[in-house]
Amino acid sequence: MVVKIRLARFGRVNQPFYNIVVAHARTARNSRPLEVIGTYDPIPKKDTYDDSGKLHKDIKLDVLRAKYWIGVGAQPTETAWRLLSMLGIVEPKYRPGPPQAPQLPDPPKKTA
Amino acid sequence: MREWMASTGHVFREPTGQPNYLGDENHPFPANRNFVSDPVLSEEAREEIWRRVVKQGEAIKTVSANFSVDMRRVAAVVRLKEVEKAWEREGKKMATPYAKAVMSMLPQTYFRDGTGAHEPINEIHVHSHTMQQIFLPTSESRQFTREDAAKAFGDHILPADKRVPHPELITLEKDLLAGKSEHEAKKAFENRAMESEVKAAERLRKKKKAEEERMTRVKASRFEFRFEDVNVDDAGKDGRSRRGTGWRYGVPFYDRRRGEVKIPTKVE
Repeated sequence: MVVKIRLARFGRVNQPFYNIVVAHARTARNSRPLEVIGTYDPIPKKDTYDDSGKLHKDIKLDVLRAKYWIGVGAQPTETAWRLLSMLGIVEPKYRPGPPQAPQLPDPPKKTA
Repeated sequence: MREWMASTGHVFREPTGQPNYLGDENHPFPANRNFVSDPVLSEEAREEIWRRVVKQGEAIKTVSANFSVDMRRVAAVVRLKEVEKAWEREGKKMATPYAKAVMSMLPQTYFRDGTGAHEPINEIHVHSHTMQQIFLPTSESRQFTREDAAKAFGDHILPADKRVPHPELITLEKDLLAGKSEHEAKKAFENRAMESEVKAAERLRKKKKAEEERMTRVKASRFEFRFEDVNVDDAGKDGRSRRGTGWRYGVPFYDRRRGEVKIPTKVE
């Protein structure tokens, strides 16, 4: 079975909080995973004595375990991929910058 | 009611500019003798505390010992005074009439000619582990000190001498008994207080630095993502330890249980 790195939603109504888990792909979202390697709090927060209005998101992650699971073939979901790519554990799928021209497939060669 | 207002109650009709309680001194509720209205720090007293700490650079412990104000209260006064000064600089309007009205109704502490006493400062917090009766057999010939007593209550219980908020005050008294002059002893006390404060600040700085080192900051979108490196093994063998990362599986979460504190207990 495929092993995935994905988020499991905990928290409350309107107050999401995610465990970053390694689990078999076909198990339920909040079932007991193989391993909890971190947490992701998607609600932006301010620093206590900071008036600049800058917001941050808190993530806890066992980087070593994440690298190990990637190394043995675990497949991160889109969201998990985005988080892992920030630390350079996986290649980012989308890079900030000007959009690149789509690569068109070569026209089929006519064989006469 | 009308009758009472006409006779004994007429003194409560208008504010007198000082505490005017229904009960006798410091008892606002005559039927509840256990409710004591303790004095609060007057405006001048708070200004004096702020001046000593910020302008003169005295240690918080020294100021606390001089005026007999709890260390935490001294720190709080300094913080709030700083906020007040910042607001003054910004030109924010103060609710001075309100503050004056409230303060005039409360007993206050004033520090006349640089001295005064507000509250007891060297009280030891009673640890719940020390509230049990223990019958501990010990040899009559053996010295049983406070340290032994602490150990009897639990391995992590510190002796009273270490839990006292101002151990420097004890050293001060010892110095005086040893024959040091009052001036000398006071100087030594101030030095020790400053030393302990610097040490505490250093400890805090180190802790902050260690936290910062475990953190990776990535500016990915309009938000900054802060990755804190954790260890999965903190969850323990069965994955249920409280020190582990994330929500625990198969364990009830009691945050909404009756009796739990649901209001924020700290500023964040």
